[in-house]
Amino acid sequence: MTSLSPFDSELAAVWPRLRRFAYALSRDAADADDLAQMTAEKAFKSFDQFQPGTRFDSWVFRICRTVWIDTVRSRGRRSAHEAPSEAAEHLGHDPTAATEAVIDLGKAMQALQQLPDEQREVVALILIDGFGYREAAEILAQPIGTVSSRLVRGRQALLAMLGEGS
Amino acid sequence: MIDDEKFFAWLDGELPVADAARIAEQVGADPALIARAAEHRALAASLRAGFAPLMEGKMPPPRFAPAEVVDLSARRKQWGARGSFGLPQWAAMAATLAVGIVAGHFVGGRDSSPIQSLDGQLVAAASLDEALNSQLASSEQGGAVRIGLTFRDKAGGICRTFSENGATGLACRDGDHWRVDGLFGAAEGQQSDYRMAAGADPRIASMIDERINGDPFGPAAERAARGDSWR
Repeated sequence: MTSLSPFDSELAAVWPRLRRFAYALSRDAADADDLAQMTAEKAFKSFDQFQPGTRFDSWVFRICRTVWIDTVRSRGRRSAHEAPSEAAEHLGHDPTAATEAVIDLGKAMQALQQLPDEQREVVALILIDGFGYREAAEILAQPIGTVSSRLVRGRQALLAMLGEGS
Repeated sequence: MIDDEKFFAWLDGELPVADAARIAEQVGADPALIARAAEHRALAASLRAGFAPLMEGKMPPPRFAPAEVVDLSARRKQWGARGSFGLPQWAAMAATLAVGIVAGHFVGGRDSSPIQSLDGQLVAAASLDEALNSQLASSEQGGAVRIGLTFRDKAGGICRTFSENGATGLACRDGDHWRVDGLFGAAEGQQSDYRMAAGADPRIASMIDERINGDPFGPAAERAARGDSWR
């Protein structure tokens, strides 16, 4: 077996995370796999623009987000749903509910789909992938304050969805 | 009172040490905040658990360069029984075939698809099956599919290489079907090279090397094999 090219080995290292990010953004598995694939192709084509010494994962996630905005997101459905208003703050339910909630991929994707796009991408980067606020802000080209407030709204809405009735 | 952004920044380990210590103290003194921290930690864990199956690496990453041999018999198990896809998409799949297929390029169950999934194996169908059954490399090949080499493999079966629209592949006779064991798209800029006989691609050449027993068939042997239904 031939040894991997620099691009292929970078991609291989980040691939499971890239797929997870694509699934977190997308409506269904087909769209998500499409998105991951298109991202990989686009990254390969523009690999000469990648600056060695910077983070490949951030670079490729940024590409993924761009592809998502340009294609998958616009073709599949209408623009962002608004999170239900009662999700803004949800008090008084059993705090152990979320602990006990075992959610599968389908349910996790479904919950994320209920979020407005700008909250979903923040949740996907920080809550699911574990990027720091600063890295997430750089990927999204947004101020940290914006990222931080979207994250608050996103996780509150998710808690209302997943912490209750599961 | 801790504002939401500060609370979550603390929860996410984003605060400077001094701030974090102060918030931790406030949270620790307030049962409601303790519960809130717990439920949000659980929420994040629960979400990550939902997405965890994607981290198991069952889907191999696409490969771009250098080209590697992709042996479909190894990948087939990962695909399981699925649909089929159309010939014109082969080239776009390039060396990223495995991912390309699962990436929604299926045209499930379309009768005219040249490759179909049968019991978890990829087999030639429609125009490809027809070409593999009837076309001879030694005669005029006017159709979209071009046949390259025909040879007998080490197990005694007959295999044929084919090309179409920039993609090239290897199919081996398996009962009444042609099992597709290799399929490669043209690397970018190589499109015109595929005017050459199928088998010229180095990846296909490598698969042939591994499998061939003796020499490729000449025109007479190829014709005789067709007469004998490729047995």
